[in-house]
Amino acid sequence: MDIKTLERLQKLNQLNLTEEETDTLLGFFETAEKDAEILSTVNTENVERMVYVMPMTNIIREDIAKKLFTRDQLQEQAPEAMDGYWQVPRTVD
Amino acid sequence: MKMYIAQTEKSAKNIVVDDMILTTDMPTSAGSKMLDGYISLFQAEAATKLTDAGYKVYAKANTGEFNLDLMGETSYYGAVETDGVLTTAAAKAIKDGEAMAAVTLEVNGSSARGAALAGLTYVKPTYGTVSRFGTIPAVCSGETVCVTAADAATAKEVLWAVKGHDDKDGTSLPQEKCVFDEVKEIKKVAVAKSLMTGDVTKVEEMKAKLSAQGVEVVEISAEELLLAKSAWNILMSAEVCNNVSKYDGVKYGYRTPNYTDLDSLYTNSRTEAFGYLTKSVILFGSETLSEANYYKVYDKAQRIRRVISEAIAKVFGEFDAILAPVSSKSAYTASEAVANPYMAYEESLYIAPAMITGLPVVVTDGVQLIGPAFSESSLLALAEKI
Repeated sequence: MDIKTLERLQKLNQLNLTEEETDTLLGFFETAEKDAEILSTVNTENVERMVYVMPMTNIIREDIAKKLFTRDQLQEQAPEAMDGYWQVPRTVD
Repeated sequence: MKMYIAQTEKSAKNIVVDDMILTTDMPTSAGSKMLDGYISLFQAEAATKLTDAGYKVYAKANTGEFNLDLMGETSYYGAVETDGVLTTAAAKAIKDGEAMAAVTLEVNGSSARGAALAGLTYVKPTYGTVSRFGTIPAVCSGETVCVTAADAATAKEVLWAVKGHDDKDGTSLPQEKCVFDEVKEIKKVAVAKSLMTGDVTKVEEMKAKLSAQGVEVVEISAEELLLAKSAWNILMSAEVCNNVSKYDGVKYGYRTPNYTDLDSLYTNSRTEAFGYLTKSVILFGSETLSEANYYKVYDKAQRIRRVISEAIAKVFGEFDAILAPVSSKSAYTASEAVANPYMAYEESLYIAPAMITGLPVVVTDGVQLIGPAFSESSLLALAEKI
């Protein structure tokens, strides 16, 4: 992990770190990467991925439209809303 | 400590739920500035089941941000200490007699540690037996609604009220899997030497108690359990990274006042609202999911999850439960936890084997007993006996 990669990750995840936070995080990445090396010692060539720990079956249900909440209810906690729309800064000039 | 109180009238059936469980009459903030004051339009199935069973969802206990930390020290509302020792708000509510039990979302071990260090009984049921509908998602493939109480009988009573199949949760197991009433006597317990690091006093005490009860206690190496920490930290971080990507300051939650365009709205809202640990988890998770690392790291961790699961299944071919510490120390201060933001990553050594495999855990007398899937009744019966 280097500063450049960390900057790319911040950009991708819409986050900014302070210089001090960056230094601490680089140290953490180093530890975590070392920690993860133990995994590479295990041969998993013929091991299947385990996404969920219990066997899961797909749940199929009727495709019935339900109106659970009104627009007003959904916008009650909007940081900014206007005329029934969520408000964001201008994106098109 | 911040705790929202829904009902001022106290009752013997008061339950405290944590800040990851949605309720419509109290805010749910996941311990984060991002969701400060957020009130959900619907409530968690666990809260509904509690009310239907005659319990009072009395209050909302503070948590660390998205329950990722050691024991609540990363909460936007501050850590909770009792006599200078870090504890969880849920554990404190039980110790103070505010509630008969706590129903919390176990994400990264904070509920187990809170219970263990406060001398309470805790049960994390088999993954999929309690609905996660209406809980704030963080680590969907491992997080589980759990119960903490003063004793095993109360923990069992409350778990039995919240468990059961729920159509609204895609990971909910069929109802027949959620009935685990059978009690099998626990005759042989394995102590995983690989997890016997740090302060193991409580484990040694438990070994003596079990032996006194006629339970055979055998030390095993179980080196595979050491893989769980790294694999869990990778999977946990990747899932958190995905689950919190929706918090952008647009539809709900915190919005920065400092923006000039959409990009700065997203970035400044997230930067100002998330704490340092959450930011670290997001960035580490993002890196594990990157094109360069996906197969080498994330995919590998998924395969290691199966290796661990199979290794534990082998142990359960010979033993009825695994005994292990819950944490490396018997007490922490809030300041030491805050000073080392990665303590929860380090301490996941102990909780990762059960989190990554979804196996049930009972914490009693400061130690954990991990059992095979659906062995909750047997583990709780043993905890009640000792």
